[in-house]
Amino acid sequence: MCKDMSPLEKAIQFHGHICPGLLMGVRAAEIALNYLGVDPDEEGELGAIVENDSCGVDAVQAILGCTFGKGNLYFKDYGKMVYTVFSRSNGRAIRIAQKFDALNHPVMERYRELKSRKLLDSQEEIELEDVLAQVFEWIMSQPADQLFDWREVELPQLDKAKVSKSIQCQNCGEGVMQTHAILTEEGLLCPECHLYWRGDNLVRS
Amino acid sequence: MCEANVYLLKEGREELFMEKVDRIIPGEDQTLFLESVFGERRVIKAAIREMELVHHRIIIEELAAKPAASGTEIWLDLDTDHGHFHEGEEVKLSLFKGYNMKADPDANWNAPKVIVAGQSGESQAELHLHGHIGHIHLGSDNVGLIQVYAHETGEQELYAKLLVEVGHHHHHDLQPIGLPLEIQPCGYSHARMGENYEVQVLKDGKPLAGVKLRATYASTRNNDYAHNLVTDEEGKARLFLTARGNYLFSVSHDGITSTFTLIKSF
Repeated sequence: MCKDMSPLEKAIQFHGHICPGLLMGVRAAEIALNYLGVDPDEEGELGAIVENDSCGVDAVQAILGCTFGKGNLYFKDYGKMVYTVFSRSNGRAIRIAQKFDALNHPVMERYRELKSRKLLDSQEEIELEDVLAQVFEWIMSQPADQLFDWREVELPQLDKAKVSKSIQCQNCGEGVMQTHAILTEEGLLCPECHLYWRGDNLVRS
Repeated sequence: MCEANVYLLKEGREELFMEKVDRIIPGEDQTLFLESVFGERRVIKAAIREMELVHHRIIIEELAAKPAASGTEIWLDLDTDHGHFHEGEEVKLSLFKGYNMKADPDANWNAPKVIVAGQSGESQAELHLHGHIGHIHLGSDNVGLIQVYAHETGEQELYAKLLVEVGHHHHHDLQPIGLPLEIQPCGYSHARMGENYEVQVLKDGKPLAGVKLRATYASTRNNDYAHNLVTDEEGKARLFLTARGNYLFSVSHDGITSTFTLIKSF
């Protein structure tokens, strides 16, 4: 594509579809960029700690450029819609938390009801399309402070991504990062073979 | 392996509709219930056209509600999903007839004409009708922002308008073409999802207030227009864009139906 995509479009393309979770991630990413006053194209300068692994994290990756692959996305499995975004270039960090009742709205209730059904008839599928459009407009039009609370926090002290040498697992022969290999009586094993060797995984994938 | 991929037949082409389907149950009102080995379930009003069991392929065709004759309209679209053309590239457009961005395969044409409205005047473009689609080639020496419209006479006068961008960033104050009934974008700019887009309805060049303006988009499952707007005292109406792809605005007044295709590059 030879025209720049908007942040929202980038997020939708990355995620593959439109849903409320992704849109909330878009709004959180917008707050972070405005508050920190940074350019997401400053590769490696931004970092994000995400406390969930839901749709919104894809917006963080697509818009802020914080990705697992680059090592500037840190996942804490807390099950909370909380994002801490920081800039190493200006030393600032912001913690953005979704308000508990942010998505309490009749149109969201109808969306959840339709999505919870295993089977929709053709009329309900049309309704779901219409309801999702209403959810879309509602989330994107809400003042940010109706959806999230945010505050400046200390810059997290996190290591930048490191490249580690690969060694060969003594059992499967595949390469494994040296930092992840486990020394056993059988020699250095990858974590997967280690689990099998210990008897934790009786059936290997 | 006993499951099959289901393909939807659209304008002579097959599109993958659902993968690894292992259950198909015909329902009421010509619907098909489909379930995949992944547990995904879909219902579609469609007929099975072919089953290639050796190749695990099932081809279905959607049964769309036929548009009412009174709702027939024409619209123009780019023959690219890129949103615009580059300088030196051949500009190809298509003309459709139907309703709600769903072309009617049985549509009868009544000698439509396609006009390129440039700053130096109007010129008629070559139009080749193949079945229910009209093909328009504007050549490869175009540049800038080109206004194109189609016109078909009949019981209901039909107009369709399209802005074609050749090259990048050719934005300027767009003047209306001067159609008897015209939808004019306010402040031409790239339309983006998640933003409002404003248009103005003009009747003989003057704002038309209080008229119903319908809007739809290519991917809608709705049989009728997804959005019904009413123009304000300045003849303007705004729509929040929530769908990927192009939108179509349509207005009917005093025996004329006029459309405007809003091109989005995403």
